[in-house]
Amino acid sequence: MSLFGAISISATGLEAQRTRAELITENLANADTTRTPDGGPYRRKDAVFTSASAPLSFDEALSFASGQPDGVSVSEIAVDDRDPEQRYLPGHPDADAQGYVAFPRINPAEEMVDLMGASRSYAANVAAISSVKDMIARSIDLFR
Amino acid sequence: MSLGNAGIGQTGHALGQYLSYLTARQEAIASNIANADTPGFKTRDVEVPVDFSGAIEEARDMVVDVPGLTTRNDGNNVSIDREARLLAENTLKFTLATQLLRGEIKDIRSAIEEGRAA
Repeated sequence: MSLFGAISISATGLEAQRTRAELITENLANADTTRTPDGGPYRRKDAVFTSASAPLSFDEALSFASGQPDGVSVSEIAVDDRDPEQRYLPGHPDADAQGYVAFPRINPAEEMVDLMGASRSYAANVAAISSVKDMIARSIDLFR
Repeated sequence: MSLGNAGIGQTGHALGQYLSYLTARQEAIASNIANADTPGFKTRDVEVPVDFSGAIEEARDMVVDVPGLTTRNDGNNVSIDREARLLAENTLKFTLATQLLRGEIKDIRSAIEEGRAA
């Protein structure tokens, strides 16, 4: 229980939101990528957030309500497994025999909304940090 | 009540406890904000200890779920508006408590310096 602990918690939030924003920009940059090292078109990636030190055992679950405040972490990067979008582009080098090209299933509007969400959440964590910094400065002022 | 070895009186001691409580609460708020996008996360808060004479030491064990919040489809019920309000409120309360504590310390300093430093 310390003010520095509060800063650490907010820092996990900053890290998680930054990772999320990075994945969103990666998705946008690769919206038309038809070739990847794994073969096939690029697949959309999404960060999965988990509350850090989440309870696992029955015993831990019982004491969950009295547990200490948790940070957040990116537990998994989920890769979209939906079928790629088929576009009819017969002149394209990656076109199949029927003239269809497999494109990533990425909706730019959806990505932009997610990016806004990540950016807003990042700002909320920054606000929390600056308010804790203010509190620490007040505590130091007690010595003056 | 013993005055403790710091020499500050009962008021100063209570203010110190209050600052501990505000610190614990600030951690809970920071955790709620960090988990604003975590599926299934439930908003948590620290209960106000009624008895200031020692109950605050257990502030960490008094983390409670907050009732009356709207749960979204992903099972998360963090209201960023509530957290923003608490963040501002908590900082102001902390400022108030430190200002009062400074007053207490100033009184002691005044006594040490035989009333010369007001």
